Amino acid sequence: MFRIYFPSIVFLLTIFTYHNQVFAKTATNKSAGTDIKSYEAFDDEEDFENYEAINIVEIKDPLEKFNRKIFVFNDSFDKYFLEFVARAYREELPKPVRNVVRNFVTNLSLPVSAFNSALQGKSENSLATFSHFLINSTIGIGGLFNVAGEKNIRYNQEDFGQTLGHYGANSGIYIMIPFLGPSSTRDLTGLAVDKSINPIEFNSFEVGGKEDLIEMNYRLALAATTVVDKREALLDIIEDVRKDSFDFYATLRSAYIQKRVAEIKN
Amino acid sequence: MKNILLGIVFIFFTSSALAQDNTKLDQVKVFINEIGSQIIKSADDKKLSVAQRKAKIISVIDESIDADWIARFVLGKNYRTMSEEHKAAFTKLYRDFMINTYGPKFQSYNGKRFDVTDVTEQNGFYIAKAEFLPKDSNAAILVSFRVKERANKLVILDFIAEGISLIETQRSEFNSAISQKGVDKFLEELKNRIEKLKTQKTN
Repeated sequence: MFRIYFPSIVFLLTIFTYHNQVFAKTATNKSAGTDIKSYEAFDDEEDFENYEAINIVEIKDPLEKFNRKIFVFNDSFDKYFLEFVARAYREELPKPVRNVVRNFVTNLSLPVSAFNSALQGKSENSLATFSHFLINSTIGIGGLFNVAGEKNIRYNQEDFGQTLGHYGANSGIYIMIPFLGPSSTRDLTGLAVDKSINPIEFNSFEVGGKEDLIEMNYRLALAATTVVDKREALLDIIEDVRKDSFDFYATLRSAYIQKRVAEIKN
Repeated sequence: MKNILLGIVFIFFTSSALAQDNTKLDQVKVFINEIGSQIIKSADDKKLSVAQRKAKIISVIDESIDADWIARFVLGKNYRTMSEEHKAAFTKLYRDFMINTYGPKFQSYNGKRFDVTDVTEQNGFYIAKAEFLPKDSNAAILVSFRVKERANKLVILDFIAEGISLIETQRSEFNSAISQKGVDKFLEELKNRIEKLKTQKTN
């Protein structure tokens, strides 16, 4: 069933993203939620305008009320479950073991990253990413050891959301996804495409038959491990932001959009 | 002959302007390197007590940032609508908030190395990219600073880590907080937060 719906979801999200781009250009001031670009220049001083020109990114959050509700749910889920699991993971497993886990899950994400680099015409980064994958999958024993990283083979992670951004798609509207956290219509589209081209996720294109390449149980275990690994990496940062912020939702939203802009520009 | 002379004069002025630009970029590099080194040195100075280390880092931050400019920037659209009293109160509180929030944070930044790798100029701002290598890691953290010259003194206006600008994030956060809570409640919260941070500082 998922196989049938998946391409449709991807298609609809893509349309939504591009529709939103047009919508954004014509109706920025009509959005019900926050639209930072629609603020009047708050000062005539040249400095502020010049700084805005090099620094300010656009945030469109017309679904803010709804997003905040999802955010409250996500935040509670995180505080009472995910953070607890991530802390236990950090406390129970020594760093070298956690590094092995991180190497393994990162390595599995590299083919899709290399593919997206190629789509963006970044051939050098694509080759570096794929070399990383090949070296770590072989000499690094299935990706458990980051041999390529130790040899200073550097690469930038790329995903399909970044590929869309590279070709000029703006972030679309900001959305908070239950359990997954901050995203945008562009990045959610990207996520759907990345999942559909990743053979590890499931055999969406039914290559060589209809069977999934990896059983569902293993895929769920891998997804859970990836989430716990990522949450563990963010434990200190999120704790800091949660403690310091006057509006955690707004802080996270701004940080997410800025980070994505930086990732697309790299 | 006249043309050759004009050419020489042109080359002289252009090269002297370029040299001045390069000198300025070098000055920014030295300025940021100095601040980074001072913070790392202070954070690791075993001769100082915890409180002294914090005080030293706070003083480095206080002297190197233009808190008034940043305060005005982070107010965003609210700057136009806030009363003069509120603006003045916020500007004063913001400086305290910055130094008391980030002073203690930088105190834990034990680093092996801090190097400015590149300085460029864009729209009248200097952008200094730097690498910070923590003691317990081999992976350098990439950060950048936005610097401006004011009254012949270089000042930091922004700090960017992982592509995330500190002042832009604060602008988004403060504007959202003000629109939800109102200016008075926000200023009160800010004041309470600073008091709390100061108490933590002396512990």
